[in-house]
Amino acid sequence: MSAAFAYTLLRPEAPCPAGLKTWNGSDPAQRFAVYRNNVIVSLVDALADSFPVVQALVGEDFFRAMAAEFARGTPPRSPVLAWYGTGFADFVADFPPAAGLPYLADVARLEWLRVEAWHAADADPLPLAEMAARLADAAALPALRLTLHPSLRVLRSAHPVVSLWAAHQAEDVSAALGAVDFADAEAALVVRDGLDVDILRIEAGAAEFVDKLLRGAALGEAAQASGPFDLPATLGMLLRSGAIIEAAPARRIS
Amino acid sequence: MTSANMNRPIRGGAAAPAALPARGGVGLKPEHFRHILETQPDIGFFEVHAENYMGAGGPFHRYLERIRADYPLSIHGVGLSIGGEDPLDEDHLDRLAALLARYQPESFSEHLAWSSHGGAFFNDLLPAPWHASTLARVCAHIDRVQERLGRHMLLENPATYVEFEVSTMAESDFIAEVVKRTGCGLLLDVNNAYVSCINHHRDVRAYLRALPLAAVGEIHLAGHAREVDAAGAPLLIDSHGAPVAEAVWALYDFALSLVGPQPTLIERDNDIPEFPVLAAEAHQAEIVMARHAKLEAAA
Amino acid sequence: MNKSITAASLAIAFGTAMTLAAAPAAAQDKMADKEKCYGVAMKGKNDCKAGAGTSCAGTSKIDYQGNAWSMVPKGTCEKTASPTSPTGHGQLKEFKEKKA
Repeated sequence: MSAAFAYTLLRPEAPCPAGLKTWNGSDPAQRFAVYRNNVIVSLVDALADSFPVVQALVGEDFFRAMAAEFARGTPPRSPVLAWYGTGFADFVADFPPAAGLPYLADVARLEWLRVEAWHAADADPLPLAEMAARLADAAALPALRLTLHPSLRVLRSAHPVVSLWAAHQAEDVSAALGAVDFADAEAALVVRDGLDVDILRIEAGAAEFVDKLLRGAALGEAAQASGPFDLPATLGMLLRSGAIIEAAPARRIS
Repeated sequence: MTSANMNRPIRGGAAAPAALPARGGVGLKPEHFRHILETQPDIGFFEVHAENYMGAGGPFHRYLERIRADYPLSIHGVGLSIGGEDPLDEDHLDRLAALLARYQPESFSEHLAWSSHGGAFFNDLLPAPWHASTLARVCAHIDRVQERLGRHMLLENPATYVEFEVSTMAESDFIAEVVKRTGCGLLLDVNNAYVSCINHHRDVRAYLRALPLAAVGEIHLAGHAREVDAAGAPLLIDSHGAPVAEAVWALYDFALSLVGPQPTLIERDNDIPEFPVLAAEAHQAEIVMARHAKLEAAA
Repeated sequence: MNKSITAASLAIAFGTAMTLAAAPAAAQDKMADKEKCYGVAMKGKNDCKAGAGTSCAGTSKIDYQGNAWSMVPKGTCEKTASPTSPTGHGQLKEFKEKKA
């Protein structure tokens, strides 16, 4: 019974499952539609909550239709809806009706990182005084490994994703959007600082650097292997955001 | 008011946590987090949906920890799929166990419905036929839940829109049998009872009387939406998007005449108003409860 | 590539960074190009409605029939000067393809 129900829930064109009855002999299809509607509307609403800027960019009608298409093909695998939407950005990237907005998928990627950061584990930053103590031995700095906040993520895009996202937080969205230069490639750093998720525009090289730190590289190695960026400003930003939760000498693996 | 009920006997033995107070409660919404912390409203308890608090950390946990410190708490699952044909999701059960260990709620409840099949989660409370094989499955699932969580759960009666030709039992008899076999309690959703009985043309008072009322541990009240079916007959939708309907208040009054004052939750999940609007509905429930408490005392 | 990273340059960088970290908040935000999510709160998605959440409730909103393949984005993207759209103003041609 559940199989027939489940099959039909995600297929608007499929007939209502057999074996349903109504007290007055009315067509059960109209009553079954309540369930079919609940499923799609609730999943689309969950996506709309996670991807508000994507929705604003394409408009509610288009977004809901696109999200419904995604939900029918990719229903959640977990009852925890906060985690629903992992593959949405990739879906948007390959969705032909949205092909004229090449930046849309990366805006979705940025919004997904924001969702992940929102729910990531809590961790206290390393107090500045303790940080200072860790820095006392200058010779050991290149081998120092930073443990970053569990919410911290970076995104590098060929599009001005941070400016697009920020424009939708502005009072005058139209004016802010008019000022966006679509030739700009941008990188974003996403981190939860207290109860707020911050989205910061950073240099591409800084994003590379942070990405390497996240993968466990020691400071010297990470800085050396990244494109040009302002190292003091980047470290300062990480400290200010409470993103450094531990700093300890890297253990040599080889 | 009803403070004597705050210490009423606990079902399930010494290890069980304290029960919810027989007062009005409100479903906790993120929109109201700050208002509640700032104004400390006089509310009997709060209820949260378990699945919203299964992230590792962040604002939801921060707020819930602070609010829980000041109020009794009910955790209400919406994703366990107890009526489903799939085996219970043990990972999800682990998450629930961790959540209950963290917040030590006075009550844990789930639905008589299914929401997952073949590994996909449909995010709706879907109906099952009332017959022997559903009964066996539901009881096995509840046994497992209660064993894993180490406590009794409350099972909520569903709001449904269709019935199944293969059903062999009345819904109320089905629920009575589940309660008898598993020892679980009943979360009596008065709005669901009303919605289902209108939708299936049943006598709702007879339905309530046939439920295992001694097992009631909590009541839910909510608003519904009104539509019509293909024959033009009323089809009520459990929308949680409006104030509690007059007919449901009347049915609540009738329910309390059978079970006495009970912890009563105002549920609102669509078109969420300012907090005081919900607090007023919770207060209205307490007025009904107070009347029944007096009647009980006089009897 | 930052070929010149040495223990000494890291020490100097951290020295500056620690000073920056101790600076007043307003100055910090200016430096950081920081966009806060003020007012962009996340809702609970698992809730008793067919909304931002798991439903233990129905909804009367009927929109499962929307067909994205016959639609055109009509949001703030129209305010942008998108470099790749045919008109240069983010307008999109309608897709007529049918699924399947």
